[in-house]
Amino acid sequence: MSFKHFYIFVFCTLFVSPFGMAQQNNVGDIIMPMTGQSNYEAGDQIILKFSAPNSSTPSLYCSNSYGSTLIQPKLDNRVLEYELPDSFTKKIGVINWTLLQNENPISGTISVQPKAEVATMETYLGPTSIEAGAVDYSMLVVIPTDSLDNPVPSNTLVDVKHQFLNSEDSESVFTKNLIAHKNIHSKKESGRMLVSSESLGTSSKEFTVNVSAAIPTGFTISSSRPHQYADGNQITTFSTSTIKDKHNNVVSDGTFVTFFITNSKGNILKTSGTTIDGVASAKIIHPDYADDWSIKAFVDGISESNEISISYKQVIEDFTVSFSERNRNISVGPLQSFMQQLIPDGLQVKLSIYKNNTLIDTLIKTSFNGFVNFNLKPEVYKNGIYTFTIETAGLTKEFKSKKLW
Amino acid sequence: MRTILIASYIMLVALIISGVSAIFSYLNTGADRSSMLHTEIKKVEQYLPKMDWAPLQNEGRPMDDENLKSIENDYLDAWYVRHVAYKSNKIAGIKDYYTESARENLFNIIERNKAENITIESTTLEHHPTLEFFSEDGQLAVITDKNVKEYKRIFKDEKLVLETTETATYKIILLLEDGFWRIRHMVKEHAETISASNQTASVDGLHIKGINYYPQASPWDMFGEKFNKDTISKDFKIIKDAGLNSVRIFVQYDDFGKAAVKPEKLKKLKQTLDAAEENKLKVVLTLFDFYGDYSVLNWTLNQRHAETIVNAVKNHGALLAYDIKNEPNLDFDSRGKKNVIAWLDNMIDLVKSVDSIHPVTVGWSNTQSATLLKDKVDFVSFHYYDDLNALDGAIKTLKTEIPDKPIVLQEFGLSSYRGLWKPFGSTEEDQANYHKKAQEIIANNNLQFMSWTLYDFAEVPKEVVGRLPWRKRVQGYFGFIDQNGETKPAFRYIAKK
Repeated sequence: MSFKHFYIFVFCTLFVSPFGMAQQNNVGDIIMPMTGQSNYEAGDQIILKFSAPNSSTPSLYCSNSYGSTLIQPKLDNRVLEYELPDSFTKKIGVINWTLLQNENPISGTISVQPKAEVATMETYLGPTSIEAGAVDYSMLVVIPTDSLDNPVPSNTLVDVKHQFLNSEDSESVFTKNLIAHKNIHSKKESGRMLVSSESLGTSSKEFTVNVSAAIPTGFTISSSRPHQYADGNQITTFSTSTIKDKHNNVVSDGTFVTFFITNSKGNILKTSGTTIDGVASAKIIHPDYADDWSIKAFVDGISESNEISISYKQVIEDFTVSFSERNRNISVGPLQSFMQQLIPDGLQVKLSIYKNNTLIDTLIKTSFNGFVNFNLKPEVYKNGIYTFTIETAGLTKEFKSKKLW
Repeated sequence: MRTILIASYIMLVALIISGVSAIFSYLNTGADRSSMLHTEIKKVEQYLPKMDWAPLQNEGRPMDDENLKSIENDYLDAWYVRHVAYKSNKIAGIKDYYTESARENLFNIIERNKAENITIESTTLEHHPTLEFFSEDGQLAVITDKNVKEYKRIFKDEKLVLETTETATYKIILLLEDGFWRIRHMVKEHAETISASNQTASVDGLHIKGINYYPQASPWDMFGEKFNKDTISKDFKIIKDAGLNSVRIFVQYDDFGKAAVKPEKLKKLKQTLDAAEENKLKVVLTLFDFYGDYSVLNWTLNQRHAETIVNAVKNHGALLAYDIKNEPNLDFDSRGKKNVIAWLDNMIDLVKSVDSIHPVTVGWSNTQSATLLKDKVDFVSFHYYDDLNALDGAIKTLKTEIPDKPIVLQEFGLSSYRGLWKPFGSTEEDQANYHKKAQEIIANNNLQFMSWTLYDFAEVPKEVVGRLPWRKRVQGYFGFIDQNGETKPAFRYIAKK
């Protein structure tokens, strides 16, 4: 107990005591309250005193924010002293008490106020990730409490400070309904914002709000490739320009971009990538036949790019097909690329087998060292007349009425 | 001999095997994985004080119904676990609804109370919360709960030392932690003790000449499977034609669905009232039949039950009065007189708060108890099955004690059972004479009355008078009309002509 409170306490007791005695003489047997004080500071000792005409020691019922109890008095020189336990004196709020004497129970209230200090700044900040553009905001909620974990009185000043890029701001808010709160808006730029608060000389910890770029706006795309031939082997890479939001902030790393490729047959091919420093790239293998592609990229549901076109040139002009071993061995090749080099392994060759104008089988093989060999087994393909078509690199050759025996 | 030995051996082996397999299957059962999350906890209605939210005008994020409901649930649960903790001085459940710092405050007081052997039975009956603030991230809320009406009973060394009803205003900070809205700070801002309220309803229109009614085929189960409005309507016509003006019917607490009153039961109740109105009869509605708990922590459930029923019938033209409970004084020994009286006292307040027009009474089983709560009820009701010669004196005594309120002899009658279980019982002639004499006493004392009952019943449920046949049989023969539908001699005296 500070000196001040001790003084107040002694003063009150001295002042009220004779008054209480006088009352007692007038009313005879009734216990009278002697303590006039009804406001205390949390942590102060609270003793309720009553003048007692006889030696009965009734209990005192008292109830605060968290519960109720009964207190037994100390009878000292015809004065009943009820000392409230710590669980009551340390918590703020109204304490209502009733002295449980049989007739005319007397009752009253005491108000416990928080200590005039701030010991902890219990701080809640959320959401911790917001969008740039001065629209989105995060909210700082502070519950300043005294050293006994009591919220401070209404209208206690709380300074809310925040730093972002080059600016440092401080704003004053006041506690209301036990808390102080402040909305902290983002600026146009993205980045990290540091937030703290201070009240009566006690500061909170540092809190961080991530201000990320707003939704991306339109962007452009480009392509690069080692050559323009449709060799089914080399890889074309698509890249975006640096994708930004409307305030020129580069979008967060990992923004997902999908490239849609429409070929000349109207089929759609798809490849995708995620951004790093605003740029996303994605790869796709060259087609194996001449084709024209148009490409457009999207950040799904949010933004889109311009459309670009690229075309691939045919690499294989013609190919040789030779039949051997009773026409049961079909050899395709050599398959030669644009410089008459053998085409890299893996070019797809499709053999369709017809009998009586009905497709009976399709065989697909990939080239190895410039050649593809099909071996038609007699167990599967009985002796007879067949028609074969062979497709590769967008070219088709037909061989009618070949006899297998 | 050998077969017996072999058979007993097989039996023994079978027994051991089934025993071992039972142990195995028991050990193999465990907690359901889904129970690791709180999502699967079934909501049991255990605490339903009146919640009256102020219109939402909170600061911060706009509130939605979903979140408000979940705050309300957890906030009420916080009060519930607190009541349980103070009653038992055990701290189970507190940590779910109070944050780590806040629960210390409760623990400290509970520890003290435990050491001093103080227990507190309490419940809150009304809350008037206002949402002050809801944080942008939805993790923190502040509410002001105005005029929380809390009933408390404080015991020291198992002796009741104080019974009090207080209202208080609290400011509460709640945090969303682990899926629970937990109380972080709670500050009582205002408190006062409230004294008993004595709101009265007009009893000018009360001229009860009535009868207690159950259908002949379904006594003590009026709103069950056998419910039939035509039967009831026919019976009501007999009652009206006999010169009576009112009936007393019974709403059973469990049968009507406890706190969550079943709509189909309410519909049957309304049809009954309609039948009464069509026959120009008034109805005294007895609530809480077959209920006998009274424990403080269940009050909120009882009050929601009464509130729903009173709300459903309060504008019905046939309604005359509410009888809060039939013969509650019979529960004094088993449930404690103070419990029962406090329950009635608060229930009367509740019924009056919902319907201030219709008068309220309590159907005491004797004249000695009839003076209890005489300042709370609008008219006094008592039952009388003793010697008629003493009735006149009893009424005169009662009238000196309660000079200013109407008195209703709410149940009286005589069983005309004479048979195996009671060979020297009264005859139907005795019964007729009883009612003749009773009507004379009633007329001389200017009393209002409701006799027991219209019909003789073939089957009396054990809940009414127990299983003993000499009680059950006797109970079946109080009617003015016998089991064959013929009027008994007493029917002539069903009402004073």
